[in-house]
Amino acid sequence: MSDMASTACFVIVSKNDIPIYDAEVGSAPKKEDQAYQHQFILHAALDVVQDLAWATSAMFLKSVDRFNDLVVSVYVTAGHTRFMLLHDSRSEDGIKSFFQEVHELYIKIFLNPLYLPGSRITSSHFNTKVRALARKYL
Amino acid sequence: MYTFTSIESQIRVLSDYAFMLRDYELALSNYRLLSTDYKLDKAWKRFAGVQEMSGLCYFMLDQSRKDAEYCMENAFTTYLRIGSSGQRNATRCGLWWAEMLKTRGQHREASTVYFRISNEEPSLHSAVLLEQAACCYLLSSPRMLRKYGFHLILAGNSYYLSDQKQHAVRAYRNALFVYKQNPWSYINNHVHFNVGRWYGVLGIFDVAIKHLLEVIACSHQSLTTQSMFLNDFFHFVQSTGEKFDVYKLQLPVFNMSSLRVVNEDHRTYASNADVDVNESIWQELEEELIPSSSVVRTNWLDTQPKSSPFRNNKACVCVAGEAVKLNVELKNPLQISVNVSGISLICQLSTNLNASETGALTTAAEEDIASTKPSISTFESDGNNFTVSKLDIVLGGGETKRIQLEVTPKVIGILKLVGIRWTLSDSVVGYQYFEVATQKKNKKGKRGARRSLNTNLIVIKGLPKLTGYIECLPTKAFTGDLQLLTLNLRNQSEHAVKNIKMKISHPRFVIPGDSSDLDLEFPQCLRKHVQSDSNTVSEGTKENVKGSLFAFPQGIKIQGGTTFSWPLWFHAATPGNFSLYLSLYYEMESTTDIPYRTLRMHYNVEVLPSLDVSFAISMCSSRLQEYIVRMDVINKTPSDSFALNQLSCVGTKWAVSTLPSRDSISFVETIPANQAVSCFFKIKDLSTSSCIEAADGSCGSDIVLSPGGSTDVFDVSRTPITDFHYQERHQQGKLAKVPRGLLDFILISKAVAVNSSKSEQLLSHHTCHCSALSQNPVWWLMEGPRTITHDFSKSCCEANIQLVIHNSSEHNTTVRVVTSDCMAEKSQTAPSHESASGQGGWHDVSLENDIKAIASTKGTHSQKQSSESISPFVWCSLSSAQVDLKPDSSAKIPLKVCIFAPGTYNFSTYELHWKVHSSESGHVDENVTSGGGQGYPFYVNVLQGA
Repeated sequence: MSDMASTACFVIVSKNDIPIYDAEVGSAPKKEDQAYQHQFILHAALDVVQDLAWATSAMFLKSVDRFNDLVVSVYVTAGHTRFMLLHDSRSEDGIKSFFQEVHELYIKIFLNPLYLPGSRITSSHFNTKVRALARKYL
Repeated sequence: MYTFTSIESQIRVLSDYAFMLRDYELALSNYRLLSTDYKLDKAWKRFAGVQEMSGLCYFMLDQSRKDAEYCMENAFTTYLRIGSSGQRNATRCGLWWAEMLKTRGQHREASTVYFRISNEEPSLHSAVLLEQAACCYLLSSPRMLRKYGFHLILAGNSYYLSDQKQHAVRAYRNALFVYKQNPWSYINNHVHFNVGRWYGVLGIFDVAIKHLLEVIACSHQSLTTQSMFLNDFFHFVQSTGEKFDVYKLQLPVFNMSSLRVVNEDHRTYASNADVDVNESIWQELEEELIPSSSVVRTNWLDTQPKSSPFRNNKACVCVAGEAVKLNVELKNPLQISVNVSGISLICQLSTNLNASETGALTTAAEEDIASTKPSISTFESDGNNFTVSKLDIVLGGGETKRIQLEVTPKVIGILKLVGIRWTLSDSVVGYQYFEVATQKKNKKGKRGARRSLNTNLIVIKGLPKLTGYIECLPTKAFTGDLQLLTLNLRNQSEHAVKNIKMKISHPRFVIPGDSSDLDLEFPQCLRKHVQSDSNTVSEGTKENVKGSLFAFPQGIKIQGGTTFSWPLWFHAATPGNFSLYLSLYYEMESTTDIPYRTLRMHYNVEVLPSLDVSFAISMCSSRLQEYIVRMDVINKTPSDSFALNQLSCVGTKWAVSTLPSRDSISFVETIPANQAVSCFFKIKDLSTSSCIEAADGSCGSDIVLSPGGSTDVFDVSRTPITDFHYQERHQQGKLAKVPRGLLDFILISKAVAVNSSKSEQLLSHHTCHCSALSQNPVWWLMEGPRTITHDFSKSCCEANIQLVIHNSSEHNTTVRVVTSDCMAEKSQTAPSHESASGQGGWHDVSLENDIKAIASTKGTHSQKQSSESISPFVWCSLSSAQVDLKPDSSAKIPLKVCIFAPGTYNFSTYELHWKVHSSESGHVDENVTSGGGQGYPFYVNVLQGA
């Protein structure tokens, strides 16, 4: 993996452990076989989040899990929706800002009376905003 | 270098002995002594070994967990640091370490250690270690199942890499327990695909296919992945060497909520699209058509007549020999196009009508569906009892198609639609059963809102059936388009049908013709013939049109196997989209289970705006009972032009002619697109005054606008045009709410065909309830000689003229005529005077007002002078006369004028005052309207005679 290309996979997991949004936000060219690998890592990291989330009052749990050189950073909202980012970069501050801004966007989605909580986020506006934030902070 | 005899080696041996003899304290102190020495000498391998041993000592002493772990980690990292020679040692150290952690119950940490070792080992070793790591996650508290699954997958991959497929499958299968029903789609696909593929490689095809079935309908995957999944799937299916039956195959996806069974009982449909029309529309249309149920009910609880064969309320009825259709939507979730062939219905037909047995049969079938997947062969098409249609389609990527399947029962009994069967790419047979929402299932708490689908049909004895269509009904037409259509009915059965009736939803657009119309050539048949008898419209048809219910002549029977045609007239009355519904009712010749049937037809017609015709009528000031008509025609089409053919007044009461100034309209009125044209005509009321002109034909109810002359005149009093006009009159009267229309116009025009291949297109525009612009209830007119020759040397001239007054209102009117010799002066000054004084009190008189007043007074002065300059004449018979006029009547008041000198006189110095009395005495105050009017100019030349 070159220095320039970074891998990042962002997933929002509902409180029922169902992914309601996922996006490959890294600059590395997308590979077909990576999609499932990223899902595996993030899915497994939920076990760690499960313990950690109740041990702290902070929403940003920093990096909770790692697999080889990939790190999983997690942000847990008050409603126990988890924002999970699989990344290989180290900038913790950027990730924190990214999570906070995505949280704001997520709340806006939540305020939509037509959005059923726990259902998949299909808003294209949300998608573009998240990708823009990823370019900005990650 | 440390030789065997060196002190360090000796100490090491000593401490190892101490460890063996379980003197861990001694062993530990010696190991620690050694470790500092080795560290200083940078003998890393030996240092690591001593660290490892001291870690074990700490563990055995069970004093300091921290120290034990620290030593183990130190040893492990040091082994790794020294490179390949320390590899095996590192693994060994790691195993000790993990065992240590496991003994203390720190399974999570142990699994991390296993994972770390696995990275350094060849694939088979690492697979075993990863499996151990997975087990540690399972044993840890709380259990970490997702980690367990993930590490099993990793282990499985390693096993596969080291060519241990069976172990790989075992690992994956264990992981499947975690990932069962997993909403993380990629994980799910990966696990199922790999398990399936590896089973396939191992030659266990049925299990392989079972797993691959889970992934072949993945819509979220990329095209390459989808094709990979599909290729592997078909490869394994072909390897089995037989057709594979799959229950609930997900490719293509049948949308069961779109399922619709179309069975024709007494209601039959002309085309498939007609079925989708709301039943209530048909019922409303057929209200008068269908005889009301004649079965006598004993009490109100008896909703179903006892003798009816349709005892089972739920079951529908279908007819033997007629296809039952089933519409369903199917969707290809993939981006690859798939070939679906042999889509057909799975049906059962039990010939026993006994209710109890059918009940047993249906429940048995339901249980079958609910519990197991019944063998498909039991539902093979039974050629003796029914036939099913087979459909082959190719579904493109992501495509959704709506298909229609048919089953034709051949014998009487109960037909049960069980499910659908199809073949995917000629290799896999998929089948799916309809979910029947029975009471039993609802009680269990399944979704009660599920749309109940009636799949049980009672098959009754064969019946005659009519099929029909309207020939060449346009889907797009211009407003006013008049066409002759043919309704074709075909009786496909052997028995005749009789007593045919028809109801049309829009009699304004379509009316049934006469049997003689069928052979006519349109539009020549509408032309006026010399010998044409104008009274062709019988009263009977008019009544039919009114009710829009049309009964075919009593004698008409459609024999089996014959086609019957009937003419229909089509007239596009108003622009817009409209849905035309036709319902045909017919009865069976022979007695059958169903006494009658209906054939329902539905067409959508888009009517485009063409010519916009409006009329403005004003009274002719010179002649009574004559009107000037301005016809404005606007062509609203973007590209078509129309030629005006004729303008007709409806009825014999009115005559239309050109204005006297233009003896004949020689110009051809062709209106190009987006252009407007105005024409002026004169119309005359023939009913009151006997017109001489009417006899010579120059003034009839039609006026030809086209160059073709009188041969091209269409007869508006013949059947289609009058009938449509009647409808239009009714419709427009409703719309305008005019109590009494004056007269109706019909403008007939022709579309100017761009290419001559098209047959002549005729348009008729009906404008009804036109009335004159003037709202005065009274018209008057001076009649008398225009030129008088008189010898003034003998006496003054007496001219006899008469004033004709006509009351056009609906009420009695009193009219008073006042003649005045100096009327002009009086009438002109009075208003100006009033306007000045009417306001009362003092007021600001602006300069402008002043000027106006001056101007007006000046005007009157000049007028006065001019009137004075004309030699005076004197009204001599009477100064005031009063007449009472009944509605629609006229009176003549003789007047006499005395003239003293030759000249030209204007006998307009009279005034009319009228009062309209409403017929109801109670409302006199409201309805009495009064008014007045000045006389019209009436010039008379008086010449000096010899």
